[in-house]
Amino acid sequence: MKAAPFDYVAPDSIEAAVDHLARGGGESVVLAGGQTLMPLLALRMATPSVVVDINRIAELSGVSRLDGATRVGATTRQATILTDPTIAAHAPTLAQAVRNVGHHQTRNRGTVGGSVSLGEPAAELPATALALEAMIETRSPRGTRRIAAGDFYTGPYSTVLEPDELVVALHYPDLPANTLTLVHEVARRPGDFALTGFIGAFTVDGGAISRARISWLAMGPTPMRSPKAEAALVGQRVGQIDLDEIGRLAASETDPMDDGHASADYRRTAGARIFRRAVGQALETR
Amino acid sequence: MNEMTQAARFVGQRVPRKEDRRLLTGNGAYTDDITVPGMLHAAFVRSYIARGTIKSINTDAAKALPGVHAVYVADDLRTLDIKFLQLYSSPTAPAPAMWPLADGRIAHVGEPVVIVLADSRALAEDGAALVEVDYESEEPVVTLEQARALTKAIHPDLGVKPADTMIVPSDDAMAETFAKAAHVVTGTIRHQRQAHSPMETRGVVAQPKGTGELTVWVSCQSPHMAARYLSEAFNLPAHSIRVIAKDVGGAFGLKVQLWREEVAAVAAALIANRPVKWIEDRLENLTSANQAREQEVTVKLALDADAKLLAADLEYHSNIGAFPHGIGANALGMMMFPGPYRLPRLSVNANAYFSNTCGEAAFRGPWMVESLARETMLDVAARQIGIDPLEIRRRNLITREEQPFTTCMGTVLNWVTPRETLELAVEKIDVAAFRAEQAKARTEGRYLGLGFATYVEPTTMNMGGVLSSEWAQVQVEPTGKVTAVISTHSQGHGTETTMAQVIADELGVPFNDVSVFEDDSSRGSFGAGAGGSRQAVAGGGAAIHAIAILKAKIKAIAAHLLNASADAVEIESGMIRVKGVEEMTTSLASLAATAYFETPRLPPGMEAGLTAQYRYSPPPFVFSNATHACVCEVDRDTGVVKILRWVASEDCGVMINPSVVEGQIAGGVTQGVGGVLMEQIRYDADGNPTAATFKDYLVPGIFDMPEIEYCHMITPADNPGGFKGIGEGGAIIGPPTIINAVADALSPFGVRTLDLPLSPPRLLALMDGAEAK
Repeated sequence: MKAAPFDYVAPDSIEAAVDHLARGGGESVVLAGGQTLMPLLALRMATPSVVVDINRIAELSGVSRLDGATRVGATTRQATILTDPTIAAHAPTLAQAVRNVGHHQTRNRGTVGGSVSLGEPAAELPATALALEAMIETRSPRGTRRIAAGDFYTGPYSTVLEPDELVVALHYPDLPANTLTLVHEVARRPGDFALTGFIGAFTVDGGAISRARISWLAMGPTPMRSPKAEAALVGQRVGQIDLDEIGRLAASETDPMDDGHASADYRRTAGARIFRRAVGQALETR
Repeated sequence: MNEMTQAARFVGQRVPRKEDRRLLTGNGAYTDDITVPGMLHAAFVRSYIARGTIKSINTDAAKALPGVHAVYVADDLRTLDIKFLQLYSSPTAPAPAMWPLADGRIAHVGEPVVIVLADSRALAEDGAALVEVDYESEEPVVTLEQARALTKAIHPDLGVKPADTMIVPSDDAMAETFAKAAHVVTGTIRHQRQAHSPMETRGVVAQPKGTGELTVWVSCQSPHMAARYLSEAFNLPAHSIRVIAKDVGGAFGLKVQLWREEVAAVAAALIANRPVKWIEDRLENLTSANQAREQEVTVKLALDADAKLLAADLEYHSNIGAFPHGIGANALGMMMFPGPYRLPRLSVNANAYFSNTCGEAAFRGPWMVESLARETMLDVAARQIGIDPLEIRRRNLITREEQPFTTCMGTVLNWVTPRETLELAVEKIDVAAFRAEQAKARTEGRYLGLGFATYVEPTTMNMGGVLSSEWAQVQVEPTGKVTAVISTHSQGHGTETTMAQVIADELGVPFNDVSVFEDDSSRGSFGAGAGGSRQAVAGGGAAIHAIAILKAKIKAIAAHLLNASADAVEIESGMIRVKGVEEMTTSLASLAATAYFETPRLPPGMEAGLTAQYRYSPPPFVFSNATHACVCEVDRDTGVVKILRWVASEDCGVMINPSVVEGQIAGGVTQGVGGVLMEQIRYDADGNPTAATFKDYLVPGIFDMPEIEYCHMITPADNPGGFKGIGEGGAIIGPPTIINAVADALSPFGVRTLDLPLSPPRLLALMDGAEAK
């Protein structure tokens, strides 16, 4: 199919982009890497009146350090994450996650901000933002604000973003020392949306877990945290954790759905098991 | 004729493909690459209900949209006399009434209802979105189970009965065989519906010319077949229709014949008297194009105490949708059930049913379901009897010494090596080492499996009709270069290369001097083109015969000019030599110049020029065969299957180009594996297709298959060149091979038969269910 008619603008500043969004009054849509939007336009599942292309806004792209966090500009390509030295040094989990995002070709176009702001529940980058407790920096006519990833998602493809609000950057705070991060998922083919998967960040102090963050993808209407399992892990000694129990607890805090690819039961069962296996292997090999 | 008259210099070599430069540099000529002046673009309004009637259609708003040129409904096409042909229907099966656009009744979601012509495809879609269709919906018949219940007629003109039935009756002897058999093994195999999903979807550009003349570019499996189809469908003389199809990006049976959309686009072009382009998009392809494989087979095997096959009984049911390309209960497939085994008796009760879903089309390896049923049930039988699946095959496979071998269905097998390819695959895998590894893995909670499957395929089938013959013309041009026009056709098969290899060797000219043309119905003569793994045998056979005629002529001219005996004349590398008289050597180019431009020097009465043609009728069947083996691991925690090794041990006779052979096998296996592990066309209860994009319809990619390990046996058949077809084999035997491997991996869980697809949730549930018991 071909897209329904729309107006196209390609501003070169954040202010101009936000202005276009404001004037679009909810009928405008942001084009970043286009890996989701272009098919939706072609299928006429999205029929905006204005497409605001933000790819020419230089200040939206790039990786930098700011206040003990790694700041990733919204239109930074996913492929860049895999080679950027700042990411490798300070936010390697993001690179771990990006390896599971689509394919070589799609990562050359797809952006970090695009994936985070779309809020596909089965995507890796929203769940990663949640596990890493990223802050989402936005701009609107009312100014700049920062939204915690945990407050950002309200449902499938649905966020707290206002229609005239643009995601400008992601801030990934540095993890405590001795933090082990894991990205694991079950997908039918490499690069597919996951049937289930999790991002884990576990800090080990003196042989015991002092901090745990677990977020799930494809396990609910939004990426989901498992606060009870996180709390249950804290204080446990590595090597003595009942990972069967923790895995089940973590998966029980999710709210997966049935679809053509897998049932909710499958997602919970397989999710708990890959959690048990991956966390077990990771902690053993430390 | 069986022996190559020249030492093979190109046949058997991995000659790089002539077509690859243009295809890999983006210079191919696919249907969507064609643009003609004044061309309009078509989009269809398609039914969103699965069953019911059209109460009214309002096209006013669409017609008023600037850029829209015409909007046609079914009645608007009645100025033309259009007839639909089902070229491959069973003779006993009546066809439903058909019209390019839905004519009052709706029989499936996606049926084309209205065609909109506009300046661009986007505008045509804008117009289509403005058409209002008022439907009266009825509860549809969607699943095979619902279709088998035969509660509602899908086509009122055909009544409530199976679309086709084919019976090979049982008898008292059969009943007695089952009653006295040491082992009786039964099981049901179900294959879900699969889409062909060619990389290039269907598409057509129709350009009316003058009065009643038409040039049509169409993505098809033979320009000659497409031209014949259109001439009959529109009752136009064949000579007034020219069909061009230079490059086609995959077809797999979907493009064997033109269907409603192509015919509607041609009709719209004729009525509007403007060129019209329609390119199917992926959404249309997955939700409206014909599909395949929704089949269920219940197999009952009788075996003696030594696990030797005594008899088989098949009950087959298939959901063939609303408008299948060919209506039939897979009679030939059922008759191929004995395959390469000594099976003394077979009875069959096969039925096809219409439903309110997309119609069936042939799909690469129409025999696939019989090999699937046979090979998976042999493994079930082996486990039930308590012998190795290899052993049951060894005891029942026919060997070279027993050939020619007549099956219980009367088919004669010859020049096949099922047993030999099995042993080759066994050796390649190293079964003993694998079993040790498998046992060790199980102690670690890892589940490895090994599966084998063996088949024979009747390639180049000639049972009369359009498949009776193929044609070749080979011509030495005045320059000495060789052009050939052959009724073969490529959907990516590489026939431009393989046919040139055959011609270069047979004629004795350099490979680079040979150009093959197969893209234009106005050039050359009728042939069915691609389909049924027939091009090497039928096209190659026609070329070899034509070259024999041409060589005799070249030798006669040379003998006359050089005052030598024709028997002493040899053609090699484009040069003509007289044995033992080196100074008489001349070039083919120089002889050609004489044949065209110095005709008085030719032997008296001889036709000028250097052209020969031959229409070759191949034998009824040329059997190829193979054994494939797969090693896989099933993840106990997730049910995900990973293929670790794949061995293809095959015999397609003389390989023209091993790289092309291996490419065909790899593609077929991957498509077959896709059908087992991932691909599934699903409909909801209302008959809506729910796998509408490649996000939901999962086709295997490069990462899903390991590098295939090939073992080639070369047993020439007795046809010219000794070639056998190989295009479909991978798709036929890939599915049972992977299923047997998965079943072997899951044997500790007591799994008998497996329904498809083998999705992670299904396999995990099987393992968990077995452990819970």
